[in-house]
Amino acid sequence: MQLVRQYLREAGEGGRDGWNRFWFTPADPATLGLVRVLAGAMLLYTHMVWTLDLPDFFGGDSWTSSHAASMALPDSGRFAWSYFWLIKSPAALWAAHIAALAVFAMLTLGLFTRVVSVLAYLAAVSYVNRVPGSLFGLDQINCMLAMYLMIGPSGAAYSLDRLRLSRAADGTRGLAAPSTSANLAIRLMQVHMCVIYFFAALGKLRGDSWWAGDAMWLSVANLEYQSWDVTWLARWPLLSAITTQITVYWELFFCVLVWPRLTRPIMLALAVPVHLGIALCMGMITFGLIMLVGCLSFVPPWLVRQCIERRQKGAGEGRGAHTGKMRRRPPSSAVSGGRKSA
Amino acid sequence: MMRVIPDSAGGDESPRAPTAVSWSPRVRFIVSLALVWHLVALLVGPISSPPSMLGERLQSIYAPYLQAAYLNHGYKFFGPDPGPSHLVRYVVETSDGERIEGTFPDRKTHRPRLLYHRHFMLSEFLVGLAGPWDPRFDWHNQPLSKSQEAYIESYAHHLLAVHGGKRVTLYLVEHRLATPQEVIEGMRLDDSQLYRSRKLGSFES
Repeated sequence: MQLVRQYLREAGEGGRDGWNRFWFTPADPATLGLVRVLAGAMLLYTHMVWTLDLPDFFGGDSWTSSHAASMALPDSGRFAWSYFWLIKSPAALWAAHIAALAVFAMLTLGLFTRVVSVLAYLAAVSYVNRVPGSLFGLDQINCMLAMYLMIGPSGAAYSLDRLRLSRAADGTRGLAAPSTSANLAIRLMQVHMCVIYFFAALGKLRGDSWWAGDAMWLSVANLEYQSWDVTWLARWPLLSAITTQITVYWELFFCVLVWPRLTRPIMLALAVPVHLGIALCMGMITFGLIMLVGCLSFVPPWLVRQCIERRQKGAGEGRGAHTGKMRRRPPSSAVSGGRKSA
Repeated sequence: MMRVIPDSAGGDESPRAPTAVSWSPRVRFIVSLALVWHLVALLVGPISSPPSMLGERLQSIYAPYLQAAYLNHGYKFFGPDPGPSHLVRYVVETSDGERIEGTFPDRKTHRPRLLYHRHFMLSEFLVGLAGPWDPRFDWHNQPLSKSQEAYIESYAHHLLAVHGGKRVTLYLVEHRLATPQEVIEGMRLDDSQLYRSRKLGSFES
């Protein structure tokens, strides 16, 4: 009995410490900043495309009437709010749309990020809740990333906000301070990506074709999706079966194998052909790219800084990093994501 | 030599390095409660699709949060099986006797690709709203669900407004996927044998 009590006590303490370490360790916001730039750019592009058919999708006589939209959602979609339902005139519609585009542009650039990240999320959700019949995976990931970008200090790195900070007295600019909310935001993205892949795999395993190995063929033989003719795969059934199985097992085990240091690079490397394959062969470039942006949340900040700042030749954070001008924060073992000094 | 990526989110290079958490215990406790709520919410959408008893119970609690935050997703991308695709063909008749025919999605008019995909989802979403299969009817005569009727009427209303029509008729076109053997034997993916069509309804302005 005492052994059981001891086990439960140690498990409780270990679980509590692990939980705190996982969620509440301050992190360098570099990865969050890069995700903001890329997700912001995708949000901007996604909504710029709405511009081409704005009245058709969001106007008074749009494809989706309010009655139809309410019929498609549980509880008549009464919690699926959208400010577009309040907009009646074309002028107001265009004004709201232009304002949203400005918000997404500011998010991408990292200007007044604390405010615009909240506005960007509210705008993104308003768009999707207005047109539930025109959505796909891209919109789910766009809104997911926008939600977490407003939780952390996403403008603390690679942003105009960062450039606007006054330089220190010695003319240098230090690295952004490690932040617990930056860690929280990145952790939420990571966990959410794991949930997505796990249930995507479970959904596939309910079907015969993913189990039997035909699914890859069925995907590339769909003319309405096809953007690159890969029907030569008909003569290579084994190749179709192998790529099908790899896709399923990669998705299924992503939530486990992306955490260990040894397997994380492999899982992230596999994400590139999987999502670029979807992007190039099935015409869903935006979806393929935004999934890769989601996977970027698993790349540690020191690696982000190493890749980006090595390439920076001009002014900014990166310059200081390689000219010795940057006032680095003292290395701290308490900082998640801090790169150890040599 | 391969450099391994650290195991923490942030990526402290030494996995055994001592770490210090920030925020006071009270703040951590409150945030932890919010995290648990949110993490459970992430699971509610997927376990409700297809419907499950647990999913339904949790939906009754979480629906406001999931809908308001746009989190109610099953994440079943191309699952359980990649199936046939669907298009909607329409014929609009104007008051001066002109007939305007079209299809959505249409690669020739819906550009760039993302806009094409928006229109593609309109037709696919309509099919996704179908009720349970009724064995008394074949595909061409399957009864439409209430949600499908609402969307068809909405599409019809839009087409009448855009084209200034007095009457519109809509058809659902299903495009079956060719088998590898059919393609090897020379069938094209747009072969007419792969298509079937059913009337969805006629509407007047």
